[in-house]
Amino acid sequence: MSLRAAARAVGKRLAAAGHLNATLAWSDAELAAEADRVDAMPARGPLHGVPVALKDNIVTTQQPTTCGSRILAGYVSPFNATAVERLRAAGALIACKTNLDEFAMGSSTEHSAYGRVHHPLDLARVPGGSSGGSAALVAAGVVAAALGSETGGSVRQPASFCGVVGVKPTYGRVSRYGLVAFGSSLDCVSVFGRTVADAEQVLAAISGLDPLDATTADRPPLRPLPAPASLDGTTIGLPREYFPEDLHPGVKAGCAATIARMKELGARIVDVSLPHARYAVPTYYILAPAEAAANLARFDGARYGVRATTDGDVRALYRATRGKGFGPEVRRRILVGTYVLSAGYHDAYYNRAQAVRARIAADFAAVFASGVDLLFTPTTPTPAFKAGEKTGDPLAMYLADIFVCSANLAGLPAVSIPVGRFEGLPLGGQLMAPPFEEAGMLAHAATLERHLDATREVAP
Amino acid sequence: MNVSAGDVIHVARLAELAVDEADLPVLTAQMDRIVGFVAQLAEVGDLGEVGSFVAGPDRARLRPDRVNPVPMALTPAAIAPEFIDGFFVVPRLLVMDES
Repeated sequence: MSLRAAARAVGKRLAAAGHLNATLAWSDAELAAEADRVDAMPARGPLHGVPVALKDNIVTTQQPTTCGSRILAGYVSPFNATAVERLRAAGALIACKTNLDEFAMGSSTEHSAYGRVHHPLDLARVPGGSSGGSAALVAAGVVAAALGSETGGSVRQPASFCGVVGVKPTYGRVSRYGLVAFGSSLDCVSVFGRTVADAEQVLAAISGLDPLDATTADRPPLRPLPAPASLDGTTIGLPREYFPEDLHPGVKAGCAATIARMKELGARIVDVSLPHARYAVPTYYILAPAEAAANLARFDGARYGVRATTDGDVRALYRATRGKGFGPEVRRRILVGTYVLSAGYHDAYYNRAQAVRARIAADFAAVFASGVDLLFTPTTPTPAFKAGEKTGDPLAMYLADIFVCSANLAGLPAVSIPVGRFEGLPLGGQLMAPPFEEAGMLAHAATLERHLDATREVAP
Repeated sequence: MNVSAGDVIHVARLAELAVDEADLPVLTAQMDRIVGFVAQLAEVGDLGEVGSFVAGPDRARLRPDRVNPVPMALTPAAIAPEFIDGFFVVPRLLVMDES
């Protein structure tokens, strides 16, 4: 059977979801061409005909890649990202490019030059970010799965807000070739799915060594494991730093119900401590802006995208292009990153943050070495917040990542799954595992998913 | 006060970023709060001899030392605004024109 009909159905769903402002580029003609391409493949791949959306900081030759920024308006990459090539080889149907916080900097997808993304269940709220467009499309049932990217939780946080599954792999599991760089020591191509199994199939297809990215690990691609019938024999740690007294009552209730279900399923639950976890957000907001300031230096009006007109010299051209091309959050982070790297401050900020990052990673290693198989935490401190609620206060926005960014700092795999709802809004729970233990982590997440009613309202 | 307007102007110059004078007071206040927040890492105390954490593999597999074609969807000539005799044609820099 031809995939043309399936592609038309995807186009209808994309058009119907237009009010979410979740897409940046798609067309019926491209969908039809994708259907024909997959139909013409000599053998069916593992993702044959599965529609997958791509965050618009993952480069493709068929559509522009804007990173949600004016500075890259109309930019078309001459090559596809490795993750895109692997999706295509697996038979996936590339559905569209999705809206995002500019250059993946944000936690609400309000910082896009192309307008904010709306939460599919409540248009007045945000879908989380920075991969909010991808999360919203999966939650709205437009696509089966989507790629996002994580630097500090940008897939798990919107997955939690939107009530879908978000998986961040171990750093090095998936090639970053063709992912527009933000914080190179933190960035990971990551996956959204409606279920753990859907997300895992996509992750398996894109994972593995890539000669075009020297930071990919020399390991075979991820091989999914069957979900166990119970959690017998599994030790799950609850880091006490992730369950503060003032945790949002809905989030607290959702986590408590999930922990109770894990116990019923046979898991051994233990309290653990990650003493440096409280420093994860400040550490992240030194290292990520520092790396961003270096990575975004290439966008100067001379090589990519748009160029400002100026009467001055070449430096005036750079300054005018960057000043007008970048939005306020990106400008802020470039300035903070430049500040912490500048003479006189480098040791106090950047070098210190590198040392604290090592301590954070060592805390995780010690907990896993003590016999803990997985860690469970809330994914976000609150359910989805209202649009505009945090845009005037960058620091309040940064704290939305408080439970997710430590996995990026330590390079660990983590998954957010829906665990219930509070006042109609989805809540997410997070499992974290030792490096390269995605298969076991996702098998246990699938077991838990099977025994949780993610649409059930929790009672604080 | 961690960050002054002068600091913002200085780092904006280092970052090759034009900042509107009208935006300067708000930007300075926001940067001051952010830098004040991240400065809490000073609380961690003496970190002793902690090496940097390096994400990713300890070492990369060596590849054969040979030149492979880069899989480009478009040829360099298709990307370039102008491409003559195998060379990209770039505009002269304005400072060079002045000299």
